[in-house]
Amino acid sequence: MSQTVVIDGNEAAAWGAALSRPDMVAVYPITPQSSLVEYLAKFIADGRMDADLMDVEGEHSVLSVLHGACLAGARTYSATSAQGLAYMFEPYFRTPGLRLPMVVSLVNRDSVSPTCVWGGQQDAMTVKEVGWIHMFCETQQEICDTIPIAYKVAEHPEVMLPVNVNHDGNYLSYGVAKVDLPDQAVVDAFLGEKSINWHACLDPERPMAVDPLTGGATGAGPATFVRYRKGLCGGMRAALDVIVEAHAEWGRKTGRHWSPLIEEYRMEDAEVALVTIGSMSGAAKDAVDEARLDGRRLGLVKIKTFRPFPVMQMARALAKVRAVGVVDRAVNFGWNCGPVFQEVLAALYHLPVRVPAMSFIGGLAGADITVEHFAQAIERTLRLAAGETAVEPVWLNEND
Amino acid sequence: MGTAFDTITFKASSCDGCGKCMTACAEAKQGAARISIVPGTKESSFELAMCRQCGDPKCVMVCPAGALAKDDGSGVVQWDASRCIDCLLCTAGCSYGGISLDSHTARVSKCDQCDGDPACVKACPTDALQWVTAGSVFNKYGDKEDMFVPGLSGCQGCNSELIMRHAMRKIGRNSVLATPPGCIPGMGSVGYNGKTGTKVPVFHPLLTNTASMLAGIRRYYDRVGRKDIVVMALAGDGGTSDCGFHAVSGAAERGEKVLYVCVDNEGYMNTGMQRSSTTPFGSWTSTTPVGEHMRGKSQDAKNLPLIMVAHKCAYVATASTGYMEDLYDKLDKAVEASFRGFSYLHIYSPCPTGWRIPSSKVIEACRMSVDSNFVTLWEYTREGGLRFTRSPDRPIPVRDYVKMIGKYRHLDDAQLDHIQSRVDEQVTLLKRMAAAPAAEPAVI
Amino acid sequence: MEAKYLIIGSSHAALEALRAIRQVDAEGSMAMLTRDVHLPYSPTILPYVVSGRSPAERVILRDEAFFTASKCTFVGNTTAVGLDATAKTVTLADGGSWRYDKLLIATGAAPAIPPVPGLDGVSYHVLRSLDDAQGLRKAMGTARRAVVLGAGLVGLHAAENLAEAGLAVSVVEMRSHVLPGYFDAKASTRIEAAFTEHGVTLFLGRTVVGIDGGKGQACTVRLDGGEALETDLLLVAAGVKPVVDWLAGSGVAIDRGVLVNDTMRTNQPDVWAAGDVAQARDFHSGEQALIGIIPTAVEQGRLAGMGMAGDSYVKPYAGGLPVNTYRFFGRVALSIGQAAAEGGGEVAEHEGPGYRRVVLADGRLVGYASVDEPFDVGIMGELIRRRVDLSGCKQDFLDRPLETGRRLMSEGWR
Repeated sequence: MSQTVVIDGNEAAAWGAALSRPDMVAVYPITPQSSLVEYLAKFIADGRMDADLMDVEGEHSVLSVLHGACLAGARTYSATSAQGLAYMFEPYFRTPGLRLPMVVSLVNRDSVSPTCVWGGQQDAMTVKEVGWIHMFCETQQEICDTIPIAYKVAEHPEVMLPVNVNHDGNYLSYGVAKVDLPDQAVVDAFLGEKSINWHACLDPERPMAVDPLTGGATGAGPATFVRYRKGLCGGMRAALDVIVEAHAEWGRKTGRHWSPLIEEYRMEDAEVALVTIGSMSGAAKDAVDEARLDGRRLGLVKIKTFRPFPVMQMARALAKVRAVGVVDRAVNFGWNCGPVFQEVLAALYHLPVRVPAMSFIGGLAGADITVEHFAQAIERTLRLAAGETAVEPVWLNEND
Repeated sequence: MGTAFDTITFKASSCDGCGKCMTACAEAKQGAARISIVPGTKESSFELAMCRQCGDPKCVMVCPAGALAKDDGSGVVQWDASRCIDCLLCTAGCSYGGISLDSHTARVSKCDQCDGDPACVKACPTDALQWVTAGSVFNKYGDKEDMFVPGLSGCQGCNSELIMRHAMRKIGRNSVLATPPGCIPGMGSVGYNGKTGTKVPVFHPLLTNTASMLAGIRRYYDRVGRKDIVVMALAGDGGTSDCGFHAVSGAAERGEKVLYVCVDNEGYMNTGMQRSSTTPFGSWTSTTPVGEHMRGKSQDAKNLPLIMVAHKCAYVATASTGYMEDLYDKLDKAVEASFRGFSYLHIYSPCPTGWRIPSSKVIEACRMSVDSNFVTLWEYTREGGLRFTRSPDRPIPVRDYVKMIGKYRHLDDAQLDHIQSRVDEQVTLLKRMAAAPAAEPAVI
Repeated sequence: MEAKYLIIGSSHAALEALRAIRQVDAEGSMAMLTRDVHLPYSPTILPYVVSGRSPAERVILRDEAFFTASKCTFVGNTTAVGLDATAKTVTLADGGSWRYDKLLIATGAAPAIPPVPGLDGVSYHVLRSLDDAQGLRKAMGTARRAVVLGAGLVGLHAAENLAEAGLAVSVVEMRSHVLPGYFDAKASTRIEAAFTEHGVTLFLGRTVVGIDGGKGQACTVRLDGGEALETDLLLVAAGVKPVVDWLAGSGVAIDRGVLVNDTMRTNQPDVWAAGDVAQARDFHSGEQALIGIIPTAVEQGRLAGMGMAGDSYVKPYAGGLPVNTYRFFGRVALSIGQAAAEGGGEVAEHEGPGYRRVVLADGRLVGYASVDEPFDVGIMGELIRRRVDLSGCKQDFLDRPLETGRRLMSEGWR
């Protein structure tokens, strides 16, 4: 039977993982993920979870032991943040290339330097081109629900890609809320039999070479390499539909329906829209509501699935607005704006008309993005709609 | 496959002419010694006359009585006293004084290798005589299936290829093999563009995560009850001792049930002979070149197997292809230990290309490295502690080993002295470890 | 019948050829024919059959199982009587024939019967076959007196056997010493003394002028000095001659034996010869000579077999070296090379309890003989064959030949 508890986001993630019955959990602590792996260790110690726990010597090995386990046939889980992700990067980069259907939570944190242990999405945004699927959660409940959904997506035979389930450090990781824990039988029925290494395995009963040297300028090299790369793109493309189906099935089984790719909030008649991602969306929605009370036709688009980027869904959602304000919790150095903003701009290119857009950057290093900050953003976006130009991003916490 | 035989070998340079072998033989056989040590041409040099148990024995073919025959099983040329007519024609057939008239019995006598336990070898105090069981090893494993494609593209004389083939034909198909970036996959063991080079499941880990990937594989197979699979690496020294060391150390500390074989060719040979932390002092490499301001590597090599001892692994051993019986023995133990805990086998492997030695001299280099104590052969278990499997006493000077290797060609006397002193220090330390009595259990 | 490899003869040369062929060609059809009724044995064993030391059933060198395993058809009691080298066919006494691709003539030698007046009218023994040996052993049991014609190896071995069996034995030898060619006079004298001590009467440098028949096996042998040796048993051991009669008209070049080159080929295509029947290079003279000893037969058989099987590693024959390892009354006499040579070389003799004679030429060993002082015959043979320069260690060699020889071979082997 389902159970209602009041827990923080890290425990919600631990529950989501536990309910997905991974065979192996590899952990290395890092703020703000640490309590998540402590919950998992306790679950295993208490026998509430049947998984092998591997406390390894660093994040590099966290992902490496899971690569091995996965190639042997295991369902795996882990979580990390910022510096941990950076240290994990070498095997991390390799994971989608091996088409390993892993799920790893990213408890988003800003990256050193400056030295910082607080929330921010710089970690996830830095690895967005690597080939992992990225989903971002808004609430503790969404974290718990999204992890089983992530396994369903990752292990889908047309996808076979790893998934990062992102939740914001501090605000979600430590913030407590009511969570309905789904019944184990429901999750079991939802996930079905696992099939992890049918495509590539390390099994004496099916001997093969995993990841031989590929490429080079001669022979089968160039074509083979391109085939793998295009295949990965194909998995990403297929994932868009699979993500939608998985969320729908989850909704049917649990009664909780989450927007799979993007959530459109009060967009029906919106003239101006905010685009948000992650936990900030709650405050942003409140700000939109307040603006609506003031008679302004505001709407909001929340990004749930950032990779693969739902380009057409985003373009369609913004087709009728006169201006867009995109709020980021990370920085794209070089473009010197928010990374999500860049993505939204690229989506807008698909529209027949030019929609003005501007970048807001807030919530870095654990800073709050309050309703007031969003109200400022809305004001500024309305001015953009009215014809005022915007060249530089607006740094929401610049004067806090 | 033919049959190979165990044999007594004689190393003239180690013989001091003490004659104990002859006494032991005469006692064992109650007659004239069937081994004869004679003074050599040079001062204090000695030579041997003894039956060589020829593959094509002329003594047998000239015997008119059918009294001599080569034993198919042992390879010993056996003498049948009851058929022999004492005609001595056999002595005319032998070019080495291997069969001769025993004046005590007035009959011929010859070495019969004491049924595989030769008295002369046991009596030899200088190891000039040795009982080499490579023949048995060959018979046992020679017709086992080779697990690699025939055409691996290793350099001519590649010792690593030898190690790979020997190791995997012994371990067999029920294994998962990691070959991290380096010469071993570089020569094609994991294959190219979708084709494999190996018959067992094989993969390229990252240079940095071999032990971790193996740990994950083992854990899962243990979890699902497939506990008999050998999960192993054939890794290079660079990936093991440098950038992948965290994974090796972590897996060893956790007691992951993995067989980790480090093939130590003293540097990054696959990428063009750069220095690693196991590159010895003085060695030329492409990143420790020889010039006016640099004379090869200026630091000593990291002793990785000793570091693994400090991890209290289930098994740690060093080996060399110069001594294959020892290597095979340790491979057996290492595989067995890998089902109980972390098992680490460090095989020293001269690289003809990177070390600048002729490919024909690789095995000689292996032997010289051991004979000079540059490389020591030992094993460690938690229960038995550290034990030499080959005596480090009476080493040849390190100079004799170093001078055959091109990468040391530039060394001056001071550098050579330094190497010798470090070798001596190392052996002293190991001897102390090997000799230390077991600690008394604590009284509670 | 036909065989890819046809070997006529079954002793040392034949058996070694078989081995050499099978090293290269495991499958090619092969047959070995011999006039003897027995499985292969060595003529050298026969004195020991006579003495009873080697039971006849234990002298066989290769059994049926060996031939089966070697895929060789062994046919005994089959005498070759003709060869057509063009048709590549050997005809047999029983009218049959064998076709071959490669033929080895290894028919060995038969006792030489000297033209002694009256010999053809009396009953006498020879000792070349197992049947001969068994016949002689039987005759020995009833005879009291024996005369042996010839003091070569066969004659002396038989004389010793007969004397040990209690017979009164006389040996007649045309040459002035026993074992002529192998030993010098000093060495021979030691051997002769041993025979005399054991009651054997030696007539050296003497000729048989006639033989008169007597009752049964008995006869009287008359010598050039007027002696008349009455005997119950006469053994003719005056040497052997190659068995080549059957090759008459075949075109195979024959002198005293079948002439062969340094790969044991005869002048006929695909025909080789080896062993006592072959007349091959002599190591010292370079001339084609008969050297009827086992080591030579083995070496020639090996070369012939390699050639027949097309073994590319065949190296030309270095030439035959006389070898004699002789045991008499428990003592030992050994000889290799030009050990009896007089002049042309440097001779070093050493007499003590034993006797040795070393012959050097140009600082190299050419011959070595000893009595009562064993040495490594094979090592000395190698020093001779390899023409090892001993000038640097000559004194060592002369003082301590055994140790020095072993040292040289050990060093040379590395």
